[in-house]
Formats: sequence, C-alpha cells, structure tokens
Amino acid sequence: MSGVNDMMTKQSDDVIVKTVSRLLIPFMQIYALYVIAHGHYSPGGGFQGGVILGASIILLVITYGLDNALRKMSEKMHIIMCSTGAIIYAGIGVLCLILGGNFLDYAELDQILHVGIAQARSLGILGVEVGVGMTVMAAMISIFLDIVTGGLHSKEKNIQGKRA
Amino acid sequence: MEVTILVQATDRSFEILEKARERSRQVLDTAARLTSESQAVHRKRVEAIFKGARQTKTEITRFTATFIILFGFWLLLSGHYDLFHISIGVLCCGLVSHATHDLLFANPRAGDMRVIVKRFITYIPWLFYQIVLSNMHVVRLALGPKNLIDPKIIEFKTKLESDISFVTLANSITLTPGTITLDIRDGVFYVHAVSKKTAEDLLTGEMEDRIAHIFMEADHVYVQDTLDIAPVFVELK
Repeated sequence: MSGVNDMMTKQSDDVIVKTVSRLLIPFMQIYALYVIAHGHYSPGGGFQGGVILGASIILLVITYGLDNALRKMSEKMHIIMCSTGAIIYAGIGVLCLILGGNFLDYAELDQILHVGIAQARSLGILGVEVGVGMTVMAAMISIFLDIVTGGLHSKEKNIQGKRA
Repeated sequence: MEVTILVQATDRSFEILEKARERSRQVLDTAARLTSESQAVHRKRVEAIFKGARQTKTEITRFTATFIILFGFWLLLSGHYDLFHISIGVLCCGLVSHATHDLLFANPRAGDMRVIVKRFITYIPWLFYQIVLSNMHVVRLALGPKNLIDPKIIEFKTKLESDISFVTLANSITLTPGTITLDIRDGVFYVHAVSKKTAEDLLTGEMEDRIAHIFMEADHVYVQDTLDIAPVFVELK
C-alpha cells in the first residue's frame, strides 16, 4: 500500500524534465489528434493517434505524479472513454449492417448522410478512427496505471481519505 | 461553631465568585470567537470574489493564448485548408487547450511576453554562432595532440530565477559541443566540460547574462535594455 502512496505524490525532481514535458504535452496531444483526423488521407489513424495521446498522459503521470494526472482525467473517465470508443466502432459497423450492407460497409452510410458515396466512406472511416483512438488511449493509460500501482489505484479514494 | 459557619460561608462565597468568573469568561470567549469568525468569513468571501474574478480572467487569457499557438501548429501540420478539416482543427484545439491550458503557461510572469519572444529570437543566431565556434574547437581537440583534452565537471551557482530560464541555459549548454549539463540542484549547475577552454568560456557567464536578459531576471542591466527603453524617453520628451 505504501508503494501506491509514494506513486500518488511522487514527482520528478528534475527541473529540465518537468519543464520540457510541460511544454511538450499540448503539442503531443495536438499531433495525436492530427494523426487521428488525417488518417483517411495520410499514414496513421486511430490506433497510432491513440497511442500518442496515451503516451502524453503517461508522460504527465511520470513527471507530475499520479495525483495531478488523475485530477485532469479520472479513472472513471478512462473506463467511460474506453467503452464509448468501442461502442462508436461497433455502432457504425452495425449501422451499415442495418442499412443493408456488410459490417463496416461505409458506402451504405450515404443513405442517411446524403453526401455521395466517396464522402460517406471518408466520414465513416473518420468516425471509426475516432472510436478506435479513444479506446486505445484509455486502454494504454489503464494498462500503465495498473502496472505502476500494482492494480491498487482503484482504491485512490480510500488512500486520499486516509491522508486527509 | 460560629467560626465554622463563618468559614463555610466564606468558602461558599468564594465558590460562587469563582463560578461567576468562569461563566463570564466563557461568555466573553464565545463573543470574541463569534466576532472573529464572522470577520474571517466576511474577509474570505471578499477575497473569494476578487480572486475568483482574477482567476477566471487569467484562465481565459491562458486558454486563448494556448488555443492560438496550438491552432497555428495544427495548420502547419494539416495542409488541408478546407472547411471540414479546419473545423475539426478548431474542435481538437479547443479540447486540448481546455485540458492543458495550465501546462503551457504554468507560471505567468509580469514581464511582457512579446519582449521575451523578440529577445529569444535574437538570441538564437548568437547561440548558433557559439555552436559553430565550439564545433571548430572540438574538431581541433579531436585531430590535435591528446594533452589538450582535459575533461572535468564544473559547478556554478546561477543567478537565474525561473524554471524556464534554467531549462534554456541547460539546453544551450548541452547544444554547445564540448559541454553537457549533468544536473541542476537548487540553482547549482553541474556541467561536464571536455577541455579547459570550454570550461573557461562557460564560466565567463556570457550565456547566462544573455538568458537573464531574455527573461528579464536577476536585476540584469544590459546595454540592450537601455537601447530598448530609449524610444520611450524620446516619446516622453
């Protein structure tokens, strides 16, 4: 239990690492969202962007401590995002199925979007990528938190109550 | 008999007196506490109003500044300037700057941001010139006689104040060939220098002076400062 407590409060004591990561994290996140949003034009996509997004939060945990990082994005939020992303992915797939095509047959989305088949495919891919990105990001962070705290971070409230 | 009655009566009167004193002290204490509490509550409320207003204002400024910087970065990356991609960009920049507006501008200082940026840009060519100079020095060390190489760790206390200037100095030292910043502890820099000349160049403190000048720190009076101020005096005249 003391290990978790250490991790909750521990910050990097190196001023260079802290300042540089503080300045880099917003740009990392924008780059990750760029990779997700331009996945249908250029290399990249949901998985790659999600991993970069997860890495930016992991960098925040390493440099500023679990406490500060979880204040930005709680564990409940991770679980919600993880499942929402999967629902978006499966939902678009099933929507195509309902509209009469195969699973993830984006061309069928034209029936509700009315933008032309090519544009409908592009939008469908974008939607799926957003879902994949959310799931991958939340899963990366959850795996990291589980490893780093030995799976005890779900008891954060008890620990914080004891300290207060 | 009479004496005992008298003593008892005196005792009793003393007891009553003691109790009365105790009661009055309690009442006074309660009154004092209530006044101080109400005063404290009032002061806190006033402070909260002022601080809240100031906080939201700085937060909005930070959010806008972060948003503009990130959106510039997005446009640089994207290369698709149609309505669809730009609206996605606005959405993403809004999300990220909402999440990280306290990271990019963690310790806003009183100094004028435009002056800092301008001075920083003029600092970069000087840094490149220094890098070229020490590159040539290191080439001479590598190709010349062995006895010129004299590696050592030097430490010096810096007069800089903020984290960002520490980082600028440390990275400038590391970028210059021949010197590497190993650590910063409580304002003391530990630097590895490969030869006597690089160590001496560093200890003259010119780089530190220039960085103090950029971030307007350490009461640093620099020739450029007076030059910057001169137009203001002209206008005043």
